[in-house]
Amino acid sequence: MPYKDLRDFLEKLESEGQLLRVQKEVLPEPDIGAAAYAAGQIPSGPAVLFEKIRGYDRKKVVMNVHGSWRNYALMLDLPMDTPLRQLFHELVKKSDRFPVSPKVVDRAPLKEAILTKNINISEVLPVFRVNDYDGGPYLSKAVVVSKDPEDSKNQNLGIYRLQVKDKDRLGIQTSPQHDIAVNLRKAEELNQPLPVAIAVGNDPAITLAAGMPLQYDEDEYEMAGALRGEPAEIIRAETVDLMVPAGAEVVLEGEIVPRKRTIEGPFGEYPGFYSPTMKQAEIKIKAITLRKDPIIFENLYIGKPWSEHDYLIGPMTSVTLYRQLKAMAPEVVSVNAMYCHGYGTIVSTKSRIAGYAKIIAAKLLATPHGLVYPKFIVIVDEDIDPFNLNEVMWALLTRFRPDRDLILIPNAPGSTLDPTGYPRGLVTRMILDATKPVPPDLPLEGLSLLIPPKEAPEWVELLNLMIGK
Amino acid sequence: MFCPRCDQDEGIKFFEAPKDGSWELYRCQHCDFVWRNTEKEEIRNRHLYPPEFKLNEDQITKMTVKPMIPPLRKPGKQ
Repeated sequence: MPYKDLRDFLEKLESEGQLLRVQKEVLPEPDIGAAAYAAGQIPSGPAVLFEKIRGYDRKKVVMNVHGSWRNYALMLDLPMDTPLRQLFHELVKKSDRFPVSPKVVDRAPLKEAILTKNINISEVLPVFRVNDYDGGPYLSKAVVVSKDPEDSKNQNLGIYRLQVKDKDRLGIQTSPQHDIAVNLRKAEELNQPLPVAIAVGNDPAITLAAGMPLQYDEDEYEMAGALRGEPAEIIRAETVDLMVPAGAEVVLEGEIVPRKRTIEGPFGEYPGFYSPTMKQAEIKIKAITLRKDPIIFENLYIGKPWSEHDYLIGPMTSVTLYRQLKAMAPEVVSVNAMYCHGYGTIVSTKSRIAGYAKIIAAKLLATPHGLVYPKFIVIVDEDIDPFNLNEVMWALLTRFRPDRDLILIPNAPGSTLDPTGYPRGLVTRMILDATKPVPPDLPLEGLSLLIPPKEAPEWVELLNLMIGK
Repeated sequence: MFCPRCDQDEGIKFFEAPKDGSWELYRCQHCDFVWRNTEKEEIRNRHLYPPEFKLNEDQITKMTVKPMIPPLRKPGKQ
């Protein structure tokens, strides 16, 4: 980092062998979704650039841009095979530079063409159905910009699924836990449309920041600047009072129609199930700004884990929760919230007092993401790496006492995408305290933790040398 | 044109391949389903569309609204 735009990052990926160009003509369906799923299944999977889409002239689609730890490492200017735990700490270090104010520019390739008549989303973007039984084509990785109608300084960026319904209409999922849902509720109480700008094909740091569950009043552009190490460049939209990423390939401008809900979905979602079909909000697009060059439509395959979605959202959710927890409890050491968008979250912490793990779990539930997502919460000691599931299982099997360390919170808010919800949106949260008891709690009988031989690291080095690593 | 999902005769063409007309995009004016005429037959043929993804009037009427539409704010209230 920083990469000035998506194209800049794609060049980097290609130079490192992490971008494949598909030059043969592909069908929008089923080829792009199938190939994108496949790329996500390959260890160290590359980004895939489709150069010829049947029926489109000079339009390209790129998938799996964030879809491997290698691509992540390159994004962070680290060696390609940097271990995940190190990626996490590097992301923490970068995000600790928050806030870095964005830089406003007045020119960008994004403004080479400005369309305000005969709007047709499917003409500008080579849209396609991602999974077979989705309700239609989707923009699944676009960054949606909106603002609090009563506080014009409070701008929000988020990645919300957008269903192409017509030439100029998009369905949008605004779940109550999303910041944009707060914006929309206020606009609808006032019976006003909510202006939005939808940026497609972005600098990878913009996309990462947009996917982070920051506090309501925290600015994702300032987080993108922190991740990049220099300010994110933004430019004023043409027809709405919003600032958009200057490096975007295309921006759709419009508004969420107030107090209207229309059929949206289903859509193959991150739990590996289709979401229910629901009546959701709708956007009317009124203008499009874009580059004159062939547009690169960056989209996301999402479905059964692991997919690009898990790579994109997992580490950023972990980092955000870590920073928010650390601010409340300095004993927290690390957070792994990479399973089903944080349904499964593992926190390692030191224990300040007996029973402290329960308080850490409560603090986790008090974060913006904690509102609905973490429902399988494991708290472990500081000697357990939450990214190493062997260690987590060891802690569960040797430190967790089900009669004392299991807490169930029934009828708690949950994601409507969670197939176990009954009814949808209401789940039981489970907290598993797998930390060692500290006084005055009763110690584990005959506790004598076995420490691996302290000379072992030297032997690892020697044995690796012997096998030629 | 019948919609493969809701079986209403409400499907209309709204776009075709800009380069060569090699496909057409349709949308249902009743349930907003969108399909392309080059997709798998089970996607575009209403007799083959999987029953678990079909929509009938009862399901549409009872569908979850997300998010709920809030009451209008009374004048002068924050």
